[in-house]
Amino acid sequence: MSRKTGKKHKILIVDDDNDILLLLKKWLEGDGFDVATAESAEEALENFEKTRPNLVVTDLFMSGMSGLDLLGRIHDDDPLLPVIMLSGQARIPDAVKATHLGSSAFLTKPVQHAEVLEHVQRVLRINYDRSGEAEIQKKVIYRSKKMEDLVNLAMMVADSNVTVFISGATGTGKEVIARAIHDASPRSDHPFIAVNCGAIPEQLLESELFGHEKGAFTGAATRNEGLFQAANGGTLFLDEVGDMPLSLQVKLLRVLQDFEVRPVGSTRSYPVDVRIISATHRDIDAAVRDGDFREDLYYRLKVVPLEMPTLAERREDIPLLVSHFLGEYAKKNKKSVKRFAPEAMDYLTTNSWPGNIRQLMNVVDLCVTLCKTDTIPLSLVKKVLQDKPSEFITLKEAKQEFEKNYLIGVLRVTSGHVANAAKIAGRNRTEFYKLLNQHGIDPAEFRNTKSE
Amino acid sequence: MSEKITVTIDSDLEELIPGFMENRKKDVEKLGKAVTIKDFKTLQSVGHSLKGVGGGYGFDRMSEFGAAIEEAGKASDLESAKEQVEQLRDYLSRLDIVFE
Repeated sequence: MSRKTGKKHKILIVDDDNDILLLLKKWLEGDGFDVATAESAEEALENFEKTRPNLVVTDLFMSGMSGLDLLGRIHDDDPLLPVIMLSGQARIPDAVKATHLGSSAFLTKPVQHAEVLEHVQRVLRINYDRSGEAEIQKKVIYRSKKMEDLVNLAMMVADSNVTVFISGATGTGKEVIARAIHDASPRSDHPFIAVNCGAIPEQLLESELFGHEKGAFTGAATRNEGLFQAANGGTLFLDEVGDMPLSLQVKLLRVLQDFEVRPVGSTRSYPVDVRIISATHRDIDAAVRDGDFREDLYYRLKVVPLEMPTLAERREDIPLLVSHFLGEYAKKNKKSVKRFAPEAMDYLTTNSWPGNIRQLMNVVDLCVTLCKTDTIPLSLVKKVLQDKPSEFITLKEAKQEFEKNYLIGVLRVTSGHVANAAKIAGRNRTEFYKLLNQHGIDPAEFRNTKSE
Repeated sequence: MSEKITVTIDSDLEELIPGFMENRKKDVEKLGKAVTIKDFKTLQSVGHSLKGVGGGYGFDRMSEFGAAIEEAGKASDLESAKEQVEQLRDYLSRLDIVFE
């Protein structure tokens, strides 16, 4: 079992039993790690600056300072440094407490070599890898199996130019994964450019993506090379690609087939070498079925599909994410790191999180801002979370609302002229009438009211 | 009966074993003394550390003795502690270690 891993990560082992220290040192050195040891938590802290480990393995019960207190002290300075806890007792409350306090794993003695190696490797593979390798794990924070599978797949495809399609609800971190794939790819020295296709009006999106010549349209005072050319050699992230208008979908398809872009108003095409990663929160299969998204483009984009789990599907990652956000907040605001009381962390871990990671981040930030003490109590978390839910309606309700407002908008613009309104909406008249009926809108109400 | 008990240990650990066995002899001495003076706290703590260390090195039986002694210490069960310590002493004396 002394397979070399090839990585020279430094591991600090803390145990007041010298035989355990010698055993773990022997094993982990045999596995290719650099190992330092300390016979007490106090000794570990004393030499911490000098040792600078990538991972700490500590006994829970020691004469003197306990492993949990050591964990707390270590995380005061570096909340993301992984700590594996060893205990002579398989007591669930200890394990739960250790997990809440941010330990990466809890092992019961006697430990076996394979078990230790597995956890050490797993923990080091998680985002703590600061050696410049494994860029994806460094950027994406997880310990759940669901995310591990997703990240493994992402790492496999990072090296190639293969087109990746990321689906998942809003706030699940689609752009984080896209960026991590870019950073781990041979393209990392070139730009990563993200564009939200749903947020930009159709005309503008076309010239944003493909560029335009000077004078190509009113307002085009200068030539614009477009995002495809700007991302040349790198990665273009097309977020909310499911919202891209059909007319642009054709043009995007052409680029993906020929790897050439023709700017608006230009007579010539320019070759581009760009990797495409696209994402959408929409049910893209349904959009294809409904004719809102081109099937041929869909297959071009969806060579490797990655499905981001919701936060509720990866609850075990919540403590890790929370600790990351706490650390980030402290760093950004140059303040000491706060922590959540265990029962507050319980509450965070079991909450439903309709807004996913983005919502969790906002809640953590708000709690830290509002909390005057070092430990954030459950009452504050509850208060912050209860202020939020009214913001969230279901996707279906949001879509309905948008559709209704949209229909009213086009009817206003066309003064209730259904044929024109249907044309703008890209629907035939029968379909358009059907939509109006569904929303109880009477086009007559919009006639002759234009100037009022 | 003083039949040998053969235990196979990872050859990577060979150089650690003499020191390890030396410490176990000390454990047995401490435990024997603890039984004599009814020091249940020491029985519990030495048993606990024995339980934690034995199996890792490959001496699973040692961890079992450790667990039983820890339990006996916790329950202030002198008879059981005495018996387990004796069995541990016997086990250590009959050990025949093979490195592979």
